[in-house]
Amino acid sequence: MKKAAASDKKSSILRTSLFVLVLAGLFVFLIFSILTAVTFGNADLSLKEVYSVIAYKLFHIKSLSSYGEGAVHDVVWLIRLPRVLLALGVGMALSVCGVVMQAIVQNPLADPYVLGVSSGASLGATLALMAGIGSIFGSNSVGVMAFIGALITSFAVLAVANMGGKATSGKLILAGMAISSVCSAFSNFVIYITNDKNASAEIVRWTMGSLGGASWERVMIMLPLTIACALIFWTQYRNLNLMLLGDDVSITLGTDLHRIRTVYLILASVLVGFAVYSAGMIGFVGLVIPHIIRILFGTDHKKLIPLSALLGASFLIWCDVLCRIILKNSEMPIGVLVSIIGAPCFIYLLVRKSYGFGGAK
Amino acid sequence: MKICTEDIRVSFQAHEILKGISIDAKDKEFVGIIGPNGSGKSTLLKCIYRILRPDRGAVYLGGEELQSMSVKSSAKKMAVVAQHNYYNFDFSVREVVLMGRSPHKKTLERDNARDYEIVEEALRTVQMGEFGDRIFSTLSGGEQQRVILARALAQQTPALILDEPTNHLDITHQLLLMELVKKLDVTVISAIHDLNIAAAYCDRIYVLKDGQLEGCGTPKEVLTPEMIRRIYKVNAEIAYDSKGKMHILFL
Repeated sequence: MKKAAASDKKSSILRTSLFVLVLAGLFVFLIFSILTAVTFGNADLSLKEVYSVIAYKLFHIKSLSSYGEGAVHDVVWLIRLPRVLLALGVGMALSVCGVVMQAIVQNPLADPYVLGVSSGASLGATLALMAGIGSIFGSNSVGVMAFIGALITSFAVLAVANMGGKATSGKLILAGMAISSVCSAFSNFVIYITNDKNASAEIVRWTMGSLGGASWERVMIMLPLTIACALIFWTQYRNLNLMLLGDDVSITLGTDLHRIRTVYLILASVLVGFAVYSAGMIGFVGLVIPHIIRILFGTDHKKLIPLSALLGASFLIWCDVLCRIILKNSEMPIGVLVSIIGAPCFIYLLVRKSYGFGGAK
Repeated sequence: MKICTEDIRVSFQAHEILKGISIDAKDKEFVGIIGPNGSGKSTLLKCIYRILRPDRGAVYLGGEELQSMSVKSSAKKMAVVAQHNYYNFDFSVREVVLMGRSPHKKTLERDNARDYEIVEEALRTVQMGEFGDRIFSTLSGGEQQRVILARALAQQTPALILDEPTNHLDITHQLLLMELVKKLDVTVISAIHDLNIAAAYCDRIYVLKDGQLEGCGTPKEVLTPEMIRRIYKVNAEIAYDSKGKMHILFL
């Protein structure tokens, strides 16, 4: 008996240390991604110049004070770095939301984009931009309206999918598609009747997703919000695990999920709303990233949340880099690129019937 | 721990499923509930383990009224093994059993070494000690039910509710599961389909039909040819083997 206990302990230490190792590895990779991604861009800057600016800004090293202003400083500090950090925030937000929404609806095919939540956020933002609705919310009215749009659609999709019995994956995806269509129809209607050419060009760019509008102001909202929400969801791993067992089993295990589910949905909608506001529509990140992590580490949310957050952040940083270099003299919309990668993965998941929250089969 | 129900009534629309059921289970007693399909066995158990709220009546766990307790504290008093279900996820066996610790955890509390010890102990008790790292959904039905029993054991409750846990299991696994439960030193209330299993393991049996209690007593008192004919409309004969064990033969 004692021997068995000792070997249990040993294997549990091994399991934990593997997870910690991968977590640390992904964190280091994320830092590496940030530092590498800032060196890509149209302006031809040397590595030394780029890192000198960052080093000066972060540590105020006197000998580098010449990098404190000027064109090089502006490109690195005002354009590239915010953009990379915004990619980090949005990628993390979308992956974590993907994980949480999959737990809420107990279906591995859920994702802000598939469930139409992104379209809802988009409609909210369009209304704010084009028709000035929601101006009472002040300078962040577009973000707030995007959040409201995301929230309404997520509840609407859940309600529609639950009509006449419990939601199945088929019903959920159909409901998501239907509500997504309704939202885009209304968005297009608003764009058409306001007939503002500049604004409609802006909206088109926005529905394809772009991190081009990155600024420190946006980063300072998106990044803290995302990290805070990711940490909150990480602490909730036990409830997220229970959600997959269903409401009945959860009650016998001492947790009534009814209210918790609504709170999580609101938090996730806040995140999606702000992600859409900062970077437009970027689909499938929340689908692909958690899927990869589940194949490697299983369904336990204690591991799934932090690993997905870090991998999603790095993933979007590199997608953005690709977008900047893939076309000569022009930039590819990031939503388009991610969809080109993500949509086939989505089809693969749909086709693979045996898929059940992980791949160790 | 003593469990009792008092005049439980449940209706769905105009149809009354339970017509005032009062049962009790004494401390460490193994109580079986038998009855034909649709007699209300599961409905009664669901009222006890809080999935259903009865229209009238009350359930008492160790003298405390169920609805006045938090979900968390009732989960510390009774654990549930329900009918075998297909699950759409790939948790490892250890992760599934670890969830049994959740009623003992505060919101932000982490799993500690003691929790893992309890999990391994529970797995060994159900003879699944080697299966901790296996993926739950790849196990056979009988193995899965034993893991669910281990999860219930990890809850460390003084009572266990079994809602036809051996449905869809082969005879080996049915007997293994009941044998494991019988060895536990806790109060058990179980819905049982198979009358021979009920006869072999129950201290006392309640008979349900059309939402009403038709009888109650030890297996010998209850499982008579007359009762079986009245409840199930089949003829049966009771025989005792060389070890004095009771067997029901259907004619």
